Amino acid sequence: MFRRGERHDTLRDLLPSLGRRLLQRQKDKAHCREDFCALKDVSFEVRPGEALGIIGPNGAGKSTILKLLTRILKPTRGHCEVHGRVGALIELTAGFHPDLTGRENVYLQGAIMGMKRTEIDRKFSEIVDFSGVGGFIDTQVKRYSSGMNARLGFSMAAYLEPEVLVIDEILAVGDLAFQQKAFDRINEIGRREIPIVVVSHQLGRIASLCSHAILLQGGAIQRFGSPSECIATYVERQPSCVLSPSTVCSLLLRSIHANAQDPVISGEPVSFVVECSVSGDSRNDSEEITVRVRSMETGQILFAIGNYALGMELPRSGSFALTVELQMNVPPGLYLVETLIQDRMRGQLLVTGPQTSVQVSKGRIFRGTVQMNGQMQVLGRENYVTVHANRLN
Amino acid sequence: MIKAKLDWLTQNVSAIVKEQFEFRELLLQMTLRDLILRYKQTVLGFGWAVCTPLLNMIVFSVIFTRVAPLHTDIPYPIYAYTGLLPWNFFASSLKFSAISLTRNANLVTKVYFPREIFPFASILVGLVDFAIASTVLMALMMYYRVAVTWTILFLPVVILVQMAFTAGVALLLAMSNLFYRDVQYVSDVGISIWMFATSVVYPIEKIHGNLAAVLKLNPMNPIIDAYRAVLLRGELPPANTFIVVAMISIVVFAAGSIVFHCAEFRFAERI
Repeated sequence: MFRRGERHDTLRDLLPSLGRRLLQRQKDKAHCREDFCALKDVSFEVRPGEALGIIGPNGAGKSTILKLLTRILKPTRGHCEVHGRVGALIELTAGFHPDLTGRENVYLQGAIMGMKRTEIDRKFSEIVDFSGVGGFIDTQVKRYSSGMNARLGFSMAAYLEPEVLVIDEILAVGDLAFQQKAFDRINEIGRREIPIVVVSHQLGRIASLCSHAILLQGGAIQRFGSPSECIATYVERQPSCVLSPSTVCSLLLRSIHANAQDPVISGEPVSFVVECSVSGDSRNDSEEITVRVRSMETGQILFAIGNYALGMELPRSGSFALTVELQMNVPPGLYLVETLIQDRMRGQLLVTGPQTSVQVSKGRIFRGTVQMNGQMQVLGRENYVTVHANRLN
Repeated sequence: MIKAKLDWLTQNVSAIVKEQFEFRELLLQMTLRDLILRYKQTVLGFGWAVCTPLLNMIVFSVIFTRVAPLHTDIPYPIYAYTGLLPWNFFASSLKFSAISLTRNANLVTKVYFPREIFPFASILVGLVDFAIASTVLMALMMYYRVAVTWTILFLPVVILVQMAFTAGVALLLAMSNLFYRDVQYVSDVGISIWMFATSVVYPIEKIHGNLAAVLKLNPMNPIIDAYRAVLLRGELPPANTFIVVAMISIVVFAAGSIVFHCAEFRFAERI
């Protein structure tokens, strides 16, 4: 329970306000102070070997949960118990002081995280190697780039050997190579049978790392279950948003859902049904409905198709449904299917509509982003010579 | 009812002590950090620890030997220095403790460890300054041919009593400053006034009447007098007053710790 509004931070403010309150006893105090409940009836348990993901929009209370788990805040009602050394990958460089060298900061931050000095001595070279800071370890941290800072902080947390792991959105640190290293390291720690709690907006990561998930909204649990269930609910609840207030669209996108068994197998076709309607009397010809597929893991847009590109005319009025058939030639994982309305004349995005998520599971085994139906064959010696001759021409 | 309160008390106290012991290495690291930061990038480095009491002593010596001469049984400069040294330890510990929590706001709101570490680290840094500045005291003692007697063995006890009292006040100041930011300014002024209510640079015994009765309540007086007794006069401090002061120090420390510990969980919200 937090208090909204201004609090008196100095005695100079407190004394007059006390005086004022004494004089105006009937005055309604509620208008300047309100109690604000950040979390309501949130209960969960995480056992060793389980990884819980917490997702939700901004302001849902996710960071408050983490602060309760790391004992920074105490619950107003109820209780919070954590057994074991907590490794909090939350603010990795919180203890870093700009005037100290990297080495001094490693020892300080290590002590703050609960590592003994002998432990830090033992792991020091590994930490420095993992971070890639190298020879700069004895330079003052104020001369580091923000990336170096973050990588050093993460490396320390990576070698912490905690009994409970709590992670908050720190997976977006460093370049791609470092991110992959970081993610692998977290996976490795995860395999050690310790309870993990992750808060992230990278839904794909949550899907691959966690065994259960919670969808938090407005301080209350909206859904508790497997990561793909919670992600699907979260994604489907995203409101349509109009990109600029002056936009008036004649088309309305109502919903999208997949018309296939769940999960979908890689390489198989999936059909989606998009329910739409035309508001008003007639449809604006320049508006195009687009269906877009995005990887939840990387956020990359993989494919998009619109009705105009297919040469398809939409009904002029009334409600209708579109079926979209896509061949899911993508590796196993979680994908976001978005609906949009675009102005095809100006190439502008007008409205983002309802979304849904698709879980793709293993089909023909391949690695990468797109299924290219690769084939391999060994050529005998004679054929090899011919091929070579062909190339020389 | 009393039993419930006592149980709660023992439970809390043992929890506090256990936690402090667990984080002892962090206290050391914090102290090191504060030390390094205070003197890094300064020209004199640790020499500053000596300068402050030394310069103060010189100024007060000039005032009280030339401008308004004061008679003390021991030569004035060493009389003043023996008072200034522990007083500086007290004053600087309190000054830095008061701002220790607010200055480290980012740590208070982001990472958990017992917050007592911040004011305690400030006190330990003050202790290091004390140790460095005591080299000048040794030089002065040699210059004025003051004999070192067995009573010097009692010195650690006096230091401990002072530390207990300082720690209790420091915890209360740090906590108050977190809730109300002008406490640091009030305490700065308060400590300056307090110095003149203690026999740091002049003997308080010379004052008579009602004012003397009020000044007798100042716990720092017997402590400063104890330093002088043990170091310069070769005698133990008067037992009754010193024991009373020791008890007051322990009570202040205990009360400060418990109040701090109970208010601790509100720090992150209120900072």
